[in-house]
Amino acid sequence: MRSRSFAHVMPLIAPVHILILSMIVIPSIFVIWLSVTKSSFGLAPTYVGLENYIRVLSDPAFLRALRNTVVIVVFAVHAELGIGLLVALLFANGLPFRRVLLVAVLAPYAVSEVIAVVMWRFLFDPDAGPVTLALQAVGLPILDWSFEPSHAMILIALLTIWLHLPFTFIILYAARLVIPGDLYEAARIDGATNFQVFRRVTLPLLGPAIVVALVFRYIFAFRIFSEVWLLTNGGPARTTEVVAIYLYQEAFSYNAFGTAAATAWIMVVASLLLAAGYVFLLRRQVGAHAH
Amino acid sequence: MHTRRLLVGLGKAVAVATLLLWSLFPIAFIVMSSLKPGQEIFAVPPAYVFTPTFEHYASLWSRWPAFFGGLLNSTVITAGATTLAVITSTYAGYACSRYVSRFTNVSVMFLIVVRLIPPIVVTLPLFPIVNALELNDTHIVLIVLYATFFVSLGTVLMRTFIDQIPRELDEAAEIDGARQFTILRRLIVPLAAPGILAVAVFVVVFSWNEFLFAFIFTATNAKTAPLVISEMIGSIDGVDWGILFAASTVQLAPVLLFVVFMNRYLVAGMTAGATKG
Repeated sequence: MRSRSFAHVMPLIAPVHILILSMIVIPSIFVIWLSVTKSSFGLAPTYVGLENYIRVLSDPAFLRALRNTVVIVVFAVHAELGIGLLVALLFANGLPFRRVLLVAVLAPYAVSEVIAVVMWRFLFDPDAGPVTLALQAVGLPILDWSFEPSHAMILIALLTIWLHLPFTFIILYAARLVIPGDLYEAARIDGATNFQVFRRVTLPLLGPAIVVALVFRYIFAFRIFSEVWLLTNGGPARTTEVVAIYLYQEAFSYNAFGTAAATAWIMVVASLLLAAGYVFLLRRQVGAHAH
Repeated sequence: MHTRRLLVGLGKAVAVATLLLWSLFPIAFIVMSSLKPGQEIFAVPPAYVFTPTFEHYASLWSRWPAFFGGLLNSTVITAGATTLAVITSTYAGYACSRYVSRFTNVSVMFLIVVRLIPPIVVTLPLFPIVNALELNDTHIVLIVLYATFFVSLGTVLMRTFIDQIPRELDEAAEIDGARQFTILRRLIVPLAAPGILAVAVFVVVFSWNEFLFAFIFTATNAKTAPLVISEMIGSIDGVDWGILFAASTVQLAPVLLFVVFMNRYLVAGMTAGATKG
């Protein structure tokens, strides 16, 4: 019976595994080897141990790229979570035309990073952008994103939030919809205020969904490339580079495959750590519910 | 009490208006601007009433023939990647749902862990290999890459959807003498159609919009529409915003309509994908 089912399973799952092994797993393992060697054109690669890692970790350009990435991850993802939570609660509270509004909130999911950059670049165009003009009209400071690195980072964060809010919102809204209505009724009968209901019923029960949304977004925001590349190219003077752009520049502009490979594995390990933290948090939450 | 309800209603209305402005204004603004005549794009304050014209679309047609080639490439690559990802994910999802064993459980864990590897990592070794095989700037590279980066999510989603189909149906078909692939094609595929559509929405949107792999692996022949648009942004000193808006509208319209029509499957896919893997 067992061998029969094995023979049944293999042809079905083989295509997926062949794709993943050949395009993702084996190349990634090869990157480990690249990361501990030094190679240049026409010369055989030589083993250099951890030199590439040390070089990357002590490169001020990498550290700045890492800092920028962490700033985007921390600032954008948490802002996005807050907005997503507010929107989910707004929807759960009862809205007319709910399906139409839901589709409207989902719309940015269809927009590619390239088009999003076109949109936001023009909206914040220093001369003619409608948002710039609106900010000026009410006397607020404008975003001088093409010269001022911190302003560029704000624009990148806004753009990322805009592109990914649909995902965060859907996860939280779906989780909110499955909270049983009797819990809210019971809380009302006990005389709980709106804030107490949110604090004691909604938030704890949304916990797992919040963790899921956060970790997915941490992992994906950490890889951010296209938005930054298309908006600022990492400039002016490499001040808005993120880790993925640093990797790209090392590999494809400077032909330094060793340090690029080391950067790549630093990215993989960071993602694994984030995911491990997620499993840990989820376990602890499941444990907390059991008690 | 009456004023309180009125205030809550007003608060909701403001919140909804803000939300719509946030989600739709950037999209509406480029579509609208693509139809504005000549210099009215830069009018201060921005013009919201104007006589629509297709002049930017005409210039796009005459000045950027590469864009329409890009649309064709995007169509071929999206169709190829979606077909590949949907078929392989359905097979694997079926196996992981119906033949539960330590082997399939390990294989699902493996699929989830693989999603942690950032796509840019694999470009380092694949770039020289693709060049050596003379596959750079071909459709097949992007088709395989796009499909591969979605088969792990696709398999997990298909397993979740196929789990909801009663096993008794397979068993009855098996007793009637149906072979495994016949059961899969005649029984599972029709019943798991919502799952297949959910996987398809993800792959279509991703393949149609993807930038990084297209940027690294294509040059002229297989260049996708987003890449051509990025070149229009790149020539920013002489950027013709009208043409850029027209091209953006053409690239965006089909995928936006697709997402609007398929929103149920997208929502189902996002929820299942996030909770099961």
